[in-house]
Amino acid sequence: MEKKVLFTYIDDPAQVKVETYVGHGGYTAWQKALKQMKPADVIDEVKKSGLRGRGGAGFPAGLKWSFVPKDSPKPRYLICNADESEPGTCKDRVLMEHDPHGVIEGMAIASYAIGSHLCFIYIRGEFGGPIRCMEQAVKEAYAKGYLGKNVFGTGYDLDMIVHTGGGAYICGEETALLNSLEGERGMSRIRPPFPAIEGLYACPTVVNNVETLASVPHIINNGAEWYTSMGTEKSAGTKIFSLSGHVNKPGNYELELGTPLSYLINDLGGGIKDGLKLKAVIPGGSSTPFLLPDQLDTKLDYESIAAAGSMLGSGGVIVLHEKTCIVWVIERLIHFYRHESCGKCTPCREGTGWLEQLISRIERGEGKPGDLEKIESICDNILGRTVCPLGDAAVMPIQSALKLFRDEWQYHIDNKRCLVKSEFAFA
Amino acid sequence: MSSADDNKVTLTIDGREVTVPRGMTVLEAAKSIGIEIPTFCWHPKLKPVGACRMCYVEIEKMPKLAVSCATEAMPGMVVHTDSDLVKQGRRAVLEFILLNHPLDCPTCDKGGECDLQDLTFAHGIDDSQFDFNKYRFIRDKKSTFDDYRLGPEIIRNQNRCILCYKCVRSNKEVFGEYDLGAFQRGNITEIDTGPGQQVDSIYSGNLVEICPVGALTNTDWRYNIRVWKTQKVNSICQYCADGCNLTLWKDRQKIYRATSRRNDAIDEGWICNRGRYGYQIANAEGRLTVPLIKRGERQENATWDEAIELIARRFKEIKDKKGGVCIGGLAYPGLDSASLYAFSKLFRTILNSNNVDFRIDYKMLPEEPGDLYTQITSRKFSIAGIENSDVVLVIGSNLINEHPITNLRVRKVVTQKGAKLYTLNPFATKSGDISTDEIIYRAGTVEALINGLCVSIVEQKLASDTVDASKLATRVEPNTVAQAAKISGVEADRIVGLAQALGEAKHITLITGELLSTSITRDAITAAIMNLALLCGMAENGQIGFLSKYANSKGAEKLGVMPLLSDSLIAEMKTLWGGYPEQKGLGADRMILSAKKEEIDALFVMGSDPMLCYPDGQFVREGIEKLDFLVVADLFETRTTQMADVVLPLSSIAEMSGDFVNLEGTVQHFDQAIKPLGQSMPGYDICNKIASALKEPLFESVARMQPDIMRLLLREENPEIQRELREVKTSVEQASGEYTVPLFVVDQAHHFAHLTERSKSLSAFCSEAHLELSPSMAEKLHAETGTLIRVESEVGKVILPVIISEHIDNDVAVVTRNFSANPVNDLQMRKQRVDYVRLTRVEEK
Ligand SMILES: Cc1cc2nc3c(=O)[nH]c(=O)nc-3n(C[C@H](O)[C@H](O)[C@H](O)COP(=O)(O)O)c2cc1C
Ligand code: SF4
Ligand code: SF4
Ligand code: FES
Repeated sequence: MEKKVLFTYIDDPAQVKVETYVGHGGYTAWQKALKQMKPADVIDEVKKSGLRGRGGAGFPAGLKWSFVPKDSPKPRYLICNADESEPGTCKDRVLMEHDPHGVIEGMAIASYAIGSHLCFIYIRGEFGGPIRCMEQAVKEAYAKGYLGKNVFGTGYDLDMIVHTGGGAYICGEETALLNSLEGERGMSRIRPPFPAIEGLYACPTVVNNVETLASVPHIINNGAEWYTSMGTEKSAGTKIFSLSGHVNKPGNYELELGTPLSYLINDLGGGIKDGLKLKAVIPGGSSTPFLLPDQLDTKLDYESIAAAGSMLGSGGVIVLHEKTCIVWVIERLIHFYRHESCGKCTPCREGTGWLEQLISRIERGEGKPGDLEKIESICDNILGRTVCPLGDAAVMPIQSALKLFRDEWQYHIDNKRCLVKSEFAFA
Repeated sequence: MSSADDNKVTLTIDGREVTVPRGMTVLEAAKSIGIEIPTFCWHPKLKPVGACRMCYVEIEKMPKLAVSCATEAMPGMVVHTDSDLVKQGRRAVLEFILLNHPLDCPTCDKGGECDLQDLTFAHGIDDSQFDFNKYRFIRDKKSTFDDYRLGPEIIRNQNRCILCYKCVRSNKEVFGEYDLGAFQRGNITEIDTGPGQQVDSIYSGNLVEICPVGALTNTDWRYNIRVWKTQKVNSICQYCADGCNLTLWKDRQKIYRATSRRNDAIDEGWICNRGRYGYQIANAEGRLTVPLIKRGERQENATWDEAIELIARRFKEIKDKKGGVCIGGLAYPGLDSASLYAFSKLFRTILNSNNVDFRIDYKMLPEEPGDLYTQITSRKFSIAGIENSDVVLVIGSNLINEHPITNLRVRKVVTQKGAKLYTLNPFATKSGDISTDEIIYRAGTVEALINGLCVSIVEQKLASDTVDASKLATRVEPNTVAQAAKISGVEADRIVGLAQALGEAKHITLITGELLSTSITRDAITAAIMNLALLCGMAENGQIGFLSKYANSKGAEKLGVMPLLSDSLIAEMKTLWGGYPEQKGLGADRMILSAKKEEIDALFVMGSDPMLCYPDGQFVREGIEKLDFLVVADLFETRTTQMADVVLPLSSIAEMSGDFVNLEGTVQHFDQAIKPLGQSMPGYDICNKIASALKEPLFESVARMQPDIMRLLLREENPEIQRELREVKTSVEQASGEYTVPLFVVDQAHHFAHLTERSKSLSAFCSEAHLELSPSMAEKLHAETGTLIRVESEVGKVILPVIISEHIDNDVAVVTRNFSANPVNDLQMRKQRVDYVRLTRVEEK
């Protein structure tokens, strides 16, 4: 069900001010962590809370923090990933614009947990509003002594840098982000080494999503048990879903994990636009496979969506109604992925280009017999064979669309137009 | 079978068990047992990036194909390099790469040595499912072809690029250059320079060599010949003492290019542009092909017989009348050992003179035999051994220019192994970019600074206990850090900081270069450095590299092409020759001085150009003018040949076989690539002809002489270094009157001594002398790049265009000396430790 934790004060315009934030109980978790907890206790608490990464992969946050070597003589870094560029996802932006101190407080606690004295928030370059909000909030936090030297008189120093990205989807991928932050071209790195061992400037580094970090102060204040009381056994807590597409009330909704998809679309989203029928849902951002109308009961948690054949991802739920041509949808997506491939590894770089050429010719009504098989074989040669998951991300929706809507593709090739009475597509 | 050794792992590749060191990749493990896995983006000297995906293997229990170049070999792994899945994966990668590839092999210079061609052939890709027009990168919209210049010698064709990124990666990782990058994204990514930049570093030619396809080509090779028409010849670079190994590619009498012939002990497969393009002098225009004899005012063509007859007659006259002491010889230290040996033998056994020297561009040198400097240079040094050091200390060397490849090893140990670099120079250099501290001392005060370091090491109780440090204070002057700081202009805390780093270091490589070796106070500086070395325990834990400069300086030393030799070397020569001249010989500087005083009547200069390179133009001119008889052998007309009575055409290194001894003391052989041009001859033949005409041949054949040469070259003196702190008194010269700016005359980065200006490609990088200034100095003069500046010293004046330095930030004038049109040695004075100049703007009318 809808449950406001991150969104408790989301509608209060004054929440961006440090005074209001503190008035609402802000920075108490930071103080508690610093004064009453050892770093290991913080990691333990977050581990127990079951908090999982909200950036897409769903990796347990506490576990990731615990990978940072305890005895490394090198400095460690915490980075908040605010590059949010996945089509259909727009939750981090809202947190930064409406509750920036929540993000800062989460970053501070995570930094303390891993022993970092310098942390970064890497914000997507196009995000003018969030950048200004975060810069202002960081300034205020410094002024109040929540950042800087000797925080709360504990002797702990913490600096925070707001860094704006150069504008590329790939820079949200954590290793490309590290390159970009170092001043290099935004291209993914091979793993291992993993960032926790060798990340920024070859030092131990933790990269977490905005939403992941913003959840941390609540867990520290209210305890792991409180957090696990929400959600399901393996998917604890709440998560923001960005609902977009053909629904009457698109927007960001914070739900307890495990809430049925239908509740989000129908009860909160007000159902499908124009009284049309649902065709398909992309549940976790543009790179996840489609769910069909008969899967509306699927619960929105990591395990249930995986069981239904897709992924929770970043929580960007894109709803498509019956008048949407699937070829057109895929053509838009592959255009995006081709444009955003970093150009490092051959299958993704060349494969996405070729896929775009094939799919757009089908969309234009110039498809040839055999094109679908070609597309399938190209997808097979990309999936699982690239440096970073962008390659997989590009082909998963295509494979899903070919499997679920093959007749529509075939119709497009045979008849040079859409099977559905599309409002958007060519012909 | 499990290995007890923790540093080893055992795995199975294609059914064969192999044990390799921990940390090795699957690719390297396979290579070690002769299983070749195809690659594009892998390179043995670069960090793996896993980009091309050509090196897939199947590893049991792993869900996906793995890239072997970036997968560490783990115990118990079972690897298949040739399964159906692997083959399918590789074919798919090749198909992807070929989608937009132009397949213009017939007109591509890489054809015949292209990884893409070879791997496509090996994998039998003959059909593509791709039925779109290929994407075309075209810079020049009028062209159908991408033909885009990235720098003076590099042309890009982006259509052929397979985006392995090896060019960009090596440029950054190995060379520390940021002038090349990838732009755009996805399948329209292209390799290009940053805005306003050029790929013009001295390492830039390596980017062409590392490119696996024909995307980068260099102007010397492209469209000139197909690779399969050429033959490869093993060669050694002649443009510095690093001794990089080269391959010359020739067809009949022409050399088409030089590439690296990887030698991990020295160059690791990298060469600088001097080595890459310097071969062009062999086939360059203007080579001397016949002897010339001066008749009246003009030098006229002559036969060898006429020339040799004249030389023999004049030498004999002088020798008979005044003795062999009135004949002197200067030999170029970039000549092969046989020529240097024959030269020395000619003087010592036929002309009965010890007046031979190879140190043609040194000011007044200490004349004592076996001086400390020479003792130390005769010790072994190892370029690869730099990798054992945790501290590298460079004193008085613009390392990147003097020794580009040694510089790369220093870069490697600093950037990849965490060593610390400290540089001590009178002006900032590019090598210093990666230093922990780049210390700039006031010109001419280095021994004061080193004394300060010694004192501080003792004060910090960090001195090695193998030396009695208590004597230091009484032996050196200045003997406090504060005084040293005052004299050298270096802050005391930096002296203390460096002293601490040196005192605490486990293994130090100390490198000195030209600024030390050519100094007239070389003895004092050497003594100061030896004190430092002893106090830091470098003799036990470290290495001291007094780096020699020319390709065969070290050979010249070992062969005794110097006037005063150690007793043991003289004894050696006596056994070889049955005799040795009694009279003390003169060094280069003394010979010229004696010529001036008319005590030396004849000079034989083989391969060097003192008129351009001797660091006192007026002095050398006056000396040479006074000579009765001057013989000069060289490849081209030079300022020195112009003054000669007889000019002899010398063959280039490519026209003979022979050897050089590099700065480490390693003897390296090079093969003959082409026949001697015209009537030119190698130096040893010239010496032999003269000897024969005078008395008797020096040798029956070079091959017969080779054992004698090797005996001297392989002789190790390794003199014991006295473990006593030495006296070092500092004498500081002051700049006088209006001449206040310290002058440094150096080689231009792309040039070396007097020959390289004949290479077309090297001239494309730079073809005239410049005055290099710090930005602030340029501002004081209201000068921009190209502004003409009058550079005047007490004795001379030249006008030079300005280059504003990216490194220099103090008030010094750095001037390049490699161009015959600009004899900048006119500014120098042989007695002056530091030359000072005055700079004024040439006002244009
Ligand atoms: C192509 C690509 C783009 C990504 N973009 C983002 C992003 O914009 N924001 C984000 O938090 N994570 C993004 N990720 C995931 C990150 O790589 C990383 O897993 C995440 O930041 C870890 O944080 P979390 O554990 O808190 O989720 C992206 C991943 C890929 C492959
Ligand atoms: S999968 Fe695509 S985005 Fe990722 S490294 Fe390869 S080319 Fe770059
Ligand atoms: S230009 Fe050559 S070396 Fe550089 S990325 Fe392209 S193929 Fe590789
Ligand atoms: S060689 Fe391994 S990915 Fe290129």
